[in-house]
Amino acid sequence: MSTETLDPLIHVPARLRIIVTLAALPVGDALSFTRLQNMIGLTPGNLGMHLKKIEDAGYLSSEKVINGVASRTSVALTSRGRAALDAYLEALRDVLGAIDAAPLPPSRSVKRT
Amino acid sequence: MKETDINGTVDKNARETAEEGELDPREAAALIRQTERQAQRELDLAAPPWLAALLAGVVFVGFGALWLSVRGQHPYKGPSGWALWVAFGAVVVVIAAAAFYLKHARAGVSGRSSRRDLAIGATVLTTYILMGVFQGALKKAGASHAIVDGIFPATAPLLAVGCVGAAIQAARENWPGFGAAIALAVIACISAFAGPINVWLFMGVGLFLSIVGYAVATAWLRRA
Repeated sequence: MSTETLDPLIHVPARLRIIVTLAALPVGDALSFTRLQNMIGLTPGNLGMHLKKIEDAGYLSSEKVINGVASRTSVALTSRGRAALDAYLEALRDVLGAIDAAPLPPSRSVKRT
Repeated sequence: MKETDINGTVDKNARETAEEGELDPREAAALIRQTERQAQRELDLAAPPWLAALLAGVVFVGFGALWLSVRGQHPYKGPSGWALWVAFGAVVVVIAAAAFYLKHARAGVSGRSSRRDLAIGATVLTTYILMGVFQGALKKAGASHAIVDGIFPATAPLLAVGCVGAAIQAARENWPGFGAAIALAVIACISAFAGPINVWLFMGVGLFLSIVGYAVATAWLRRA
């Protein structure tokens, strides 16, 4: 089984961390952009680009609250996003199971660089 | 053309760094475990081991002071003023530490659970107020000092809070918290049989042990 069965939108380190972090929140809760950035450790621009892609796929909803001169953006996983993560985890379990069941190829003992 | 992101900021380098290399499935699994652990540690509202340990120490000091002040009273009159101040001070320390922790854990989090936690806090506060009113009714009905200023205030509020807390922790599937809350209710019930003087000692020791047990169980589960 190959990694093609894994959702390519989620199967990227930064987006995987964003989605797993947001999934840790109870349903109905949102996390501010700043707190998420502190937890993930990406630059604001980089985090914003990843969030935009996740939002475009319908996995995330965002809300911007403007209070005077300050604005605050909060993001939350949608039910579609939570379902996508569940499907990704299921697919990942299948892929890992297939890897463990397969005989080791010779190249596997070579250290990754 | 510069592109703005979801936060309205502009990052010229974002496009170059947004896409990352191929992710190995094993690396993905490890990353998920690590991220889940970090998120639960940072966003979890259940009392962390350090807060539970502080609570255990404060409970021990508070109930210990109350017990020392009533020890040897014949007839029983109730805790003395200095012991009540120590107990109130202990409550203030616990509330301040919990507020500090919650402020950090809730920073940047908004939504349904904030309203739910406010309702839980209001329920606990209401429980204590109503227990105080009920204590007045007992006094008015002619109940003895042993009941009004001893067994009832030492056990009844914590018996109610323990039962309510157990239901809340069960709904959250926080099993160490559920165990600690049930232990609190059981200890409060059993301690009532110790009499108006020793009820303070039984409550102090019992609560100390159950909170330490909770701290150990939580630390063990977080490490696993």
